[in-house]
Amino acid sequence: MKQQTRNNKRINIITMNIKDILTPFTAWSKVVQDPVTIKDPLTREAAPRYRGFHKNDIDMCIGCGTCEDICENQAIDMVPVEGVETKSGDSGLRPRIDYGRCCWCALCVDICTTNSLNLTNEYTWVDADPEVFIYTPGVDKKSWDDKEDGWQKPVPNYHFYGQKRVHMGELHADERKDSFIEFVKGYSKEQAEMEADRCVSCGICTATCPAHMGIPEYIAAVRNDDMEEGMRILYETNPLPEICGRICTHKCEDVCSVGVNGDALSIRWLKRYIADQIPADVEKYNEILYTKDIKKNDKKIAVIGSGPAGLSAAYYLGLLGYSVTIFEKLPEAGGMMRYGIPSYRLPYDQIDKDVDYILSIGVDIKYNVNIGTDITLQQLNDDYDAVYAGTGLHLGRSTRIPGSDHKNVYQSVDLLRDIVTGAPVPVEKKIVVIGGGNVAMDITRSMARLQMEKYGEVNVIATALEDEEHMPADREEIVEAREEGCDVIPAYGPQEVIIKDDKVIGLKVWKCLSIFDETGFNPKFDESDERIFEGDMVIESIGQGMDLSYLSEDIKAKMEFGPRGRILVNEDWQAKGLPWLFIGGDIIEGPDVIHGIANGHRGAMSIDEFLNQGR
Amino acid sequence: MKSLIERVSTKYNLQEVVQQRDNLVFAYVDKELAIDMVTYMRDYEGYAHFTLMSCVDWIEDGKFQLLYLLNNPETKTEFGIKVAIDRDNAVMQSAHHLWEQIWTYQRELKEAFGIDFPGSPRVDEDFVVEGWDDMPHMRRDFDTNKYAEETYFMREGRKSYDPATYMREKLYPKQPVTAKKNKDEQ
Repeated sequence: MKQQTRNNKRINIITMNIKDILTPFTAWSKVVQDPVTIKDPLTREAAPRYRGFHKNDIDMCIGCGTCEDICENQAIDMVPVEGVETKSGDSGLRPRIDYGRCCWCALCVDICTTNSLNLTNEYTWVDADPEVFIYTPGVDKKSWDDKEDGWQKPVPNYHFYGQKRVHMGELHADERKDSFIEFVKGYSKEQAEMEADRCVSCGICTATCPAHMGIPEYIAAVRNDDMEEGMRILYETNPLPEICGRICTHKCEDVCSVGVNGDALSIRWLKRYIADQIPADVEKYNEILYTKDIKKNDKKIAVIGSGPAGLSAAYYLGLLGYSVTIFEKLPEAGGMMRYGIPSYRLPYDQIDKDVDYILSIGVDIKYNVNIGTDITLQQLNDDYDAVYAGTGLHLGRSTRIPGSDHKNVYQSVDLLRDIVTGAPVPVEKKIVVIGGGNVAMDITRSMARLQMEKYGEVNVIATALEDEEHMPADREEIVEAREEGCDVIPAYGPQEVIIKDDKVIGLKVWKCLSIFDETGFNPKFDESDERIFEGDMVIESIGQGMDLSYLSEDIKAKMEFGPRGRILVNEDWQAKGLPWLFIGGDIIEGPDVIHGIANGHRGAMSIDEFLNQGR
Repeated sequence: MKSLIERVSTKYNLQEVVQQRDNLVFAYVDKELAIDMVTYMRDYEGYAHFTLMSCVDWIEDGKFQLLYLLNNPETKTEFGIKVAIDRDNAVMQSAHHLWEQIWTYQRELKEAFGIDFPGSPRVDEDFVVEGWDDMPHMRRDFDTNKYAEETYFMREGRKSYDPATYMREKLYPKQPVTAKKNKDEQ
């Protein structure tokens, strides 16, 4: 093409030669050749690890929401799904993905605590309606649901958070078995922060904790090295953090999402870490928790028992301005926490630390007062606006097998209490404990220590009806008992305390085949598998009962009782028939400190509601 | 590759040498020696094909890690040369004179990470995100979530439930809330 100017106008002149004319036709020669392009790119399989569309195994998924949290594009919502139940350990929610925002980075897959969420290598989805590109993988059926290829978390050795919990230092069994000194050492700052760093802050644990503690929040306080904020979070729901930080049954850890594919967070030890960092100085506590000048109201509450439920109720009522008086039967506060749990697990000074702060907010406590004899329940009703009873389970239960009425057959709760009060405790050379729960392990290990002191060796057998897998004691209790030289022998049922010349010489047991049937507790035994556990004394530790002797007959007549004499309460923890009497703790929920604390808290709120009706 | 690794290690003081596969090696080299080594690998060791150039933001260490991935068509092996440069002084010698296409990678890295390659053609021009005036978007301290929230509207009808709050509403709606007083309430 050339440019020329004619009559002051620029014009283009096209000149062509024969080559220019023929060249286009050479393209026709390609007609018979195979195309270099792909005929139908939509059916081309992507690479095996291509990051395509999501799929989710909704049965594996627990709805922890870490996928939503990590998403950089806010492409994920956690939504309820029909047929998926909200329960302990599962929020019932499942991730829904908005493909208007997703960039297929796969961070959601890489953080997934259960490995249920994956990306397939499917990458084509055609629709004229842009509103369809939002779906709940695993719920809304898609053609790629069964595809195996795609991006999956390349486990093992690829994790966004630590899989192993930070080891908790303990005294070696040889160092601890002759001493009641606390043997769990507690985390250092570095260890605590490292452990806290493993938390994904999903909050699944909170629902399972009976007190519904703000677990992710106080773990965040550890990460941020903000112990005062940590204390404030603990005290929102639990006024006994030193105690609970040591002996809580930590059901929260059973449902920890990090624990699905690794070790659960050491939630209990992190709680202890926070409380341990604050010195035993009630002034400091009051300052941190803003409880220096609580405005009092004119109402008075009586609390019977200073166990976890009583202390918890007293604390929260005290915070609300009530004048609270605790009536304690024993010389010191703590109930079963002090008189039932050995000091190697829960040192007395740590109980004192928690109790002293509760007393410092204005809660009064009267020791050595026996309700029913020193003062009647009716008098408390006359003198106070409401009464909270958390009297616990302090009576041992007997197996009632032949020989169990012998003087050398003891109840674990009695012996544990005697160890604390300093009363004489019989320590024989060979001891047999009946029971497989935590209290049984406590007495087993306590007696082992006393044997070490007296004889220089351990000779205790603990036997339980349940098999190893179903023993009710915490796993660590069983392991530690064995480390300390005790024999823990599961799946045998006691048949007779063998007595010779008026002396206990052992326990006859049969192999236990099953414990429950359709009628309830009805153990079946294999009589041919009989063993004799030698022992000079037998300790029964098969559960505890309540002592309701403080209830007079006329008060009892107004109350309602359920099976096995259990007091019936309404949903506000009021005794049915006696609206001024609120009941909580072990006598309602069974033996567990954190349940007692939760009960006490709720009981306090119910009392507040009850006293302010019509205001 | 063993003899190659030994030869190059001595010459360029390589660090953290990792033989990922039989035909793939990664190694760190000092920033000052990096382009010299890339040139040497191309001209003397047969790594004549430039595969790619990329970057990782090691924000905790205060470093960007540049990677020059080279291919030897004869031996069918690849050598990844890694270079750590300071995040605070994100400047690297240009390598566009070795393979012309490198200036495209360098332009992308300038936009995405803010790493400058003085002398690299068109290095200051927009690459993908036209008119970008924020922090380079591939730096890890760029808050993608915040940007998404501020920039894009949410699809109508979207709603999400916090798992812990949802569980509370479903499982224990009567949980008491007390105790947390703040200082002002005293």
